[in-house]
Amino acid sequence: MSGVAEPDRRTATACFGGLLLVGAVLLVVDGVRLRGAAPGAVLGPEAVPLAVGVLLGVVGAALLVRALRTPPGAAAETSGRSWLRVSALVAVLVAFAFLLGVLGFVVSATGLFVAAALLLGAPHPLRVVGYGWALAALVFLVFDRLIGLSLPAGPWGF
Amino acid sequence: MNGWELLLDGFAAALTPGHLLWALVGVTIGTAVGVLPGIGPALTVALLLPVTFRLDASSALILFAGIYYGGMYGGSTTSILLNTPGESASMVSALEGHRMARSGRAAAALATAALGSFVAGTIGTIGLTFLAPVVADFATGFGPPEYVALMAVAFVTVSALLGPDLLKGIASLVTGLAVGLVGIDSQTGAPRLVFGVDPLLDGIDVVIVVIALFALAEAFGHVLAGTGGSTVEPVRDRVVLSRADLRRSWPAWLRGTALGFPIGSLPAGGAEVPTFLSYSVEKKLTRHPEEFGHGAIEGVAGPEAANNAASAGVLVPLLTIGLPTSATAAVMLTAFQSYGLQPGPQLFEESGPLVWTLIASLYVGNVMLLVLNLPLVRLWARLLTIPAYGIYAGVLVFAALGTWAAGGTTADLLVLCGLGLLGLLMRQAGVPVAPAVVGLILGPIAEQQLRRALTLSEGDPAILISSPVTGVLWAVAALALAAALLAPVLRRTRRE
Repeated sequence: MSGVAEPDRRTATACFGGLLLVGAVLLVVDGVRLRGAAPGAVLGPEAVPLAVGVLLGVVGAALLVRALRTPPGAAAETSGRSWLRVSALVAVLVAFAFLLGVLGFVVSATGLFVAAALLLGAPHPLRVVGYGWALAALVFLVFDRLIGLSLPAGPWGF
Repeated sequence: MNGWELLLDGFAAALTPGHLLWALVGVTIGTAVGVLPGIGPALTVALLLPVTFRLDASSALILFAGIYYGGMYGGSTTSILLNTPGESASMVSALEGHRMARSGRAAAALATAALGSFVAGTIGTIGLTFLAPVVADFATGFGPPEYVALMAVAFVTVSALLGPDLLKGIASLVTGLAVGLVGIDSQTGAPRLVFGVDPLLDGIDVVIVVIALFALAEAFGHVLAGTGGSTVEPVRDRVVLSRADLRRSWPAWLRGTALGFPIGSLPAGGAEVPTFLSYSVEKKLTRHPEEFGHGAIEGVAGPEAANNAASAGVLVPLLTIGLPTSATAAVMLTAFQSYGLQPGPQLFEESGPLVWTLIASLYVGNVMLLVLNLPLVRLWARLLTIPAYGIYAGVLVFAALGTWAAGGTTADLLVLCGLGLLGLLMRQAGVPVAPAVVGLILGPIAEQQLRRALTLSEGDPAILISSPVTGVLWAVAALALAAALLAPVLRRTRRE
């Protein structure tokens, strides 16, 4: 992708491998708990999760080992500021999830749009608010009023 | 009734004003969204899936067919003018196409891409018309063991083909399989991987996973990188092909189609392999080898045709066996399922008129796309000047909308955010997400068939290789796995 800097694959691969190992433990623990849940079945509900869990563990370990064995490359280390921006976007999304039902779709979606655009480096905050409001209102009109998908309305009806 | 009559009935249904309107809406929004940089056909279909939740099944599927083909056309415009292919299958057309655009031949590149897509799309759809009933007929004899073997083939080829690296492909596939296990086990009612969190009991909606892995990961990636400016190559001339360009293009279109459709329609196909093959074939056969790498028109015409023919071909295993072999097809399968339709041999028997209306509307959509794209390509190119912050902020709004439409709870939005972070990590690690989507969708089906097969045989695993068809399929899976394992070794020895 142009515009996106070459990421630091080594750290990310190691993290992903680690995450798969965590997933493997969860699957195996849950699979063991399920044993005997369906005594009559030839292949109970625990069989596939256990198999997938073991596979997940093997693949995760392989990725982790491979990442640790590659020497640190020249790839630019992603700066702390970038991760701060990602965390901010996560916070915005979580806030959106909880405020959607309270504030209604148009206001929350405008907020989401504006926050995301500013985090992505939009130059004119006021104009962004205008764009966001227009998009959110248009989406609400088309999907809620026209198509009949019921979107949360908030205290003011939109 | 024979195939022709069924198809004619399909046309009669597709050509009603209402259905024509939906096809037009579909190709228009498909093109418009597909043009946006970083948004490939799979994401286009996933983002627009909720749009159709309130329509009746035939209108919705017609809309989808339009979006599917429209997203492909739009994607090629982006790769030529901006060099940001939305998916790996259009990477090849970006190779020569963007170089043509840089040397001022954008119009010719766009024209050969659009015409090639039309030719290949039409021939591919004709192929689909004749091949699909035959395959469906053959597949009616399939029982659980055959399905298990088919899924094994799909798993192996998807993780080996849809990425540069077998281990990362498998990692992605297994991640998808694991996510697919969350929720109540359909056969015994036992909750799996729920850990007392009630909203997880229903499982994680495929639509939400797709939106998270494609859309949120893309937006997160741009936030992480800080969006750089991108330069759009201008379209200077009218989008027509000169006689010389046409003479060089049409054989490439036909060769691309000849590669794309058969490979795409294999239950292990996908669109990547034929596009790459087509590129190397054109490079070998060309009379202008010096132009390759600097903008050779055959290098756009062939792969673009192969890509479109393959996407028609991908519909063969999708409609007849229920086997998606590309990320886009996987999302299409979800669309079918959300209408209570299970693609497979029974689909042609039970919902025959619907399927034929869908196939007929593919022809119609292709014609509409040609009409929309040749004269209006400048208008579409204008969409490329929307700044990146606007596109990704908008994508987030639509992602939230889609998630709300699919799930409708705060928990769904939180799952979306969490899976988006997983997608970001996968992107950063260079792990392809398409195998995860295929694993997520096929995993539960594979498990169900496996358990059914073993119940039939009372636990004897020999049933899995009991018929000739299963034997062949397992052999294909083993060969594909061996090829994927040996390829890097061979490459290394050749280099030394």
